[in-house]
Amino acid sequence: MRSDVRYVRPSSLGEAVGFLSDHGPETKPLAGGTDLLISIRSGELKARYVMDVNRIPELKGIAMTGEGLSIGAGTTIAEIASSETVKRLAPVLRKSCLSFGSPQVRNAATIGGNIANASPSADTFPPLIVHETIAVLSGPDGERRIPVEEAAAGPYKSNVGSRELIVRFILKPSEGRFFEFLKIGRRKTLAIARVSMAVLAEKDMRGAVGFIRFCLGSSTPVPCRIVEVEDFLTGKILNEAVVAEGGRLAAEKMIEISGRRSTTVYKEPAVKGLFNRLLYPMVKND
Amino acid sequence: MIEPLKTVPISFKVNGRPVSLEVGAGETALHAIRERLQLTGAKEGCGIGECGACTILVNAKAVNACLMLAAQMDGTSIRTVEGLAGGGSIHPLQKAFLDHHAVQCGFCTPGLLMSAAALLKEHPCPDRRTIADGLSGNLCRCTGYRQIFQAVEAVAQGEKEKTQ
Ligand SMILES: Cc1cc2nc3c(=O)[nH]c(=O)nc-3n(C[C@H](O)[C@H](O)[C@H](O)COP(=O)(O)OP(=O)(O)OC[C@H]3O[C@@H](n4cnc5c(N)ncnc54)[C@H](O)[C@@H]3O)c2cc1C
Ligand code: FES
Ligand code: FES
Repeated sequence: MRSDVRYVRPSSLGEAVGFLSDHGPETKPLAGGTDLLISIRSGELKARYVMDVNRIPELKGIAMTGEGLSIGAGTTIAEIASSETVKRLAPVLRKSCLSFGSPQVRNAATIGGNIANASPSADTFPPLIVHETIAVLSGPDGERRIPVEEAAAGPYKSNVGSRELIVRFILKPSEGRFFEFLKIGRRKTLAIARVSMAVLAEKDMRGAVGFIRFCLGSSTPVPCRIVEVEDFLTGKILNEAVVAEGGRLAAEKMIEISGRRSTTVYKEPAVKGLFNRLLYPMVKND
Repeated sequence: MIEPLKTVPISFKVNGRPVSLEVGAGETALHAIRERLQLTGAKEGCGIGECGACTILVNAKAVNACLMLAAQMDGTSIRTVEGLAGGGSIHPLQKAFLDHHAVQCGFCTPGLLMSAAALLKEHPCPDRRTIADGLSGNLCRCTGYRQIFQAVEAVAQGEKEKTQ
């Protein structure tokens, strides 16, 4: 436990950004605390100020807007999992929230904290990427919008500036499409994903893939959309051979991005296998 | 509160009783509850969100008190295992845990009771799978969980019979 840290709790976005513009580099925002409390406990946290962002109304809420599906950075994983709006317009995100941590963790952890923490295995990252999400940041110079995949610079390295907060995410809604999020962990609950993936897809009138977004998580330094796999599958009628080739491409791309490592022996077949499971329902439905 | 504070004055409710405290800025809710309020039901097993021994309810939701700052309790309503019993008798879940031998060393029990209480509030008649999911954030090294699931099922069954 740190005794020299100071606690500050703004009650509006204006107050928060005001404080960050003076003290940002010495400040860590605190949302659900499920990552931050661990670094406070271990003494890793070097910040002088902990800024509790849980009472900032601008960070809350889920709503369909003219721009898309807006989800406040301070929305908890449990709130997303139980939202009817998310179930309808972003069911792949909901699925990632249902298997997240434990009930206690889901009640505290926020989606903003998940992205800002920039873990390669952050579960909400792949679903946000397949929804082509924009992260809305607020800082001393006003608002900045970035594609969510640019929110992470590397493992646990965020691109969100020390004087900025993530305010909300804007997702392209996707209703009625095929979706799936799968992860492999060491056990069912409380397991950090070792390989995860998310997909959104739709067949055209011929029964071929007309639309597809595919993202790989936990296997690359930053979760990333794999356009080569999308391009390969687009226009094809899915059968087992085509899906297997897609999985091979995904694994090849993963190795290209991450380099060969000691874990590749495990991850290469895991990516191929999980990819088959991911898209198999689309084969079967024919 | 835009003034950064080293010690933070907070007011909140614990088991229905209003309390005011001064807590350290880096102090956990678990520490404040155990050491300042002397409510030692919630335990520190792991201190990192893995075991659930520290589970409390914050505004009726189960959370890990080891992953929460004491200052975050300001303005909330907290329930700990000490608040489960009431009116001179123990809570039906406590009774069921005893009846079904769901307690061996007891270290996990306060946390499990709070997770079970939150679960039954949301799902009054859960099936086995819902119970397992609801208690999946709590580890027990002794019982093997069966007796715990049976105890929660017994309470749910009792509720069902009451409403029929
Ligand atoms: C037991 C356990 C199980 C877990 N299981 C999973 C799991 O299954 N899947 C998974 O993905 N993760 C898991 N995690 C990790 C963690 O719960 C998530 O990363 C969570 O989403 C973090 O959110 P938080 O609100 O708790 O963040 P905090 O801990 O409050 O903050 C995390 C980081 O984000 C920053 N931050 C928070 N909000 C903002 C904001 N609005 N703007 C800018 N920066 C911000 C903080 O400064 C900090 O650096 C688990 C953690 C624990 C302890
Ligand atoms: S002590 Fe909090 S989860 Fe283990
Ligand atoms: S009874 Fe001993 S840990 Fe559960």
